[in-house]
Amino acid sequence: MTRRASPEGLPTLRQHLAQVHLRLILFAVTLAAASLLVSGVLVTRNYAQRNLDLIANTVGYTVEPAIVFGDPQAAREGIVSVADVSTVDRVELRDRAGKLFMEWSHPRAGLHSGLERMTNKLLWAKPSIHAVRHSGEIIGEVRVYGNSEGILRYALSGAIIALACLGLTVMATRILARRLQQEVIAPLSQLAEVSQSVRAERAFHRRLPPSGIAEIDQFGRDFNALLAEIEGWHQGLTSENAELARRATHDPLTGLGNRVLFEQTLAEAAAVSVRSGTSFAVVYLDADNFKQINDLHGHDGGDAALAAMAERLRTAIRQGDQAFRLGGDEFAVVVPALTSPDQVESVKSRIEQAMERPFLLPNGAYAVAELSAGIAVFPDDGKSPEALLRRADKEMYREKTRRRAASRGVSNA
Amino acid sequence: MSIGGGSDAVAVATARMVRSFIDYARWPIRREPMTICVVGTPSHASRLDELTLIDGRRVAARAVTPASLAASGCDVAYFGRVDPAAMRQALIAVRGKGVLTVAENDPQCRSQAMFCLRQDRASLAFAVNIDAISRSGLRIDPRVLRIADGAST
Repeated sequence: MTRRASPEGLPTLRQHLAQVHLRLILFAVTLAAASLLVSGVLVTRNYAQRNLDLIANTVGYTVEPAIVFGDPQAAREGIVSVADVSTVDRVELRDRAGKLFMEWSHPRAGLHSGLERMTNKLLWAKPSIHAVRHSGEIIGEVRVYGNSEGILRYALSGAIIALACLGLTVMATRILARRLQQEVIAPLSQLAEVSQSVRAERAFHRRLPPSGIAEIDQFGRDFNALLAEIEGWHQGLTSENAELARRATHDPLTGLGNRVLFEQTLAEAAAVSVRSGTSFAVVYLDADNFKQINDLHGHDGGDAALAAMAERLRTAIRQGDQAFRLGGDEFAVVVPALTSPDQVESVKSRIEQAMERPFLLPNGAYAVAELSAGIAVFPDDGKSPEALLRRADKEMYREKTRRRAASRGVSNA
Repeated sequence: MSIGGGSDAVAVATARMVRSFIDYARWPIRREPMTICVVGTPSHASRLDELTLIDGRRVAARAVTPASLAASGCDVAYFGRVDPAAMRQALIAVRGKGVLTVAENDPQCRSQAMFCLRQDRASLAFAVNIDAISRSGLRIDPRVLRIADGAST
């Protein structure tokens, strides 16, 4: 499965799913992180506020005698003993008249950044104020200003954790997309591959493997059933076509190739011979007594005789030789890849030998086929199929004439 | 406690400090008005008679001899310049009887006075004698002890 976009520039399903997942998870994590962060900051600020109130209260109690005794140094020590914590930025102590009695700021190093000052102003706009009482009488006031360092640190670590979570979830998205690819997209790409090979290579035997997802599995089974049907149709059509093609080039009575196939074969053999410099021969055969058999035993008898002749012809020729019925009682044999003229002569004599035995006709009578044969060798006897045929025909007639003369001579004797 | 301007600035500061001691002390019985007995020859006790406590009680001051202190029924004893032996005897005599004792002239706080004033040019401070405070029969707010000089900080 490639990760590239399809050739049409459309995003793949995996890209689509990964994108949707990523957006969803980004949205969810950002929402969760933001709400957690905000609520966390608010809660922390609330606690810090209470803490400041408590510190103001405690400072007030601690420094009360120092105010009464008018001892700023003691007040300062009292403040430090209570308020020297990171959540306190500054403590002011004012006397009854509102005059500043003591002021103490938390000693901070360079950490006291501008950001911190800004958030201090934002979060602790008002100090925590506590009145200092001595025997019920107000003798002064404590003002504690908060510091946001802790909250800032919380927010920062929260943001870092949220970012880390985002990273994790992005990785999880990729894994999820890969799993989705295995479960959904792989079957789909298999489907695409199978349908493509069916279309391009006519590979109707291909089937989709079962899938782990119900819908896709159902789809795959339907697709397979469809393929099986198409395969059946295709096979029927193919065998019908082959049958039609065979019928067009074969003689239905004898099963031998007809004149069309013969001419094709002859042309091919001539072309092969010219290319390879070899030679081939044509044996032209004609039944001398077919008309008599027909007259004597009827058309059934004639057909049976032709079928019997064809059968004997077929058994007499060698493997590689091809026999044809050209029509009526005419037959032909193509003897390819001839190395010497004797070969074709031996084929001819074997044919004559095969025909000597009588064959049984449907009406119970016996008959003997009398065949005259003529041989023509390519290229010696003709350089074109037509010339070759004419020569073979002529040779055949010459033999026919000779046989008639011989039989007349025998009957005369 | 800083000492302000004026001819009797030290006396004013002293009076404020004594008043603060009284404010942070609790007697077994609340009495009104409070009585400050001045023992010996004080240098800065001139303003002690004008005190008003934070809860509104008035404070009266009178002079007594060291020998008659124990029987005088005072709430506070302010020791000026006085013979050390007589002072020690007077202090031992009032021990446990609910008398707050202040020594004007004992910066090292070696006598058995509870509070000892310490004065330099600009300010007035005090030291405490923890032993004397614990035997005094009074309750002193511990926060006051933290303010005292020499208190562990």
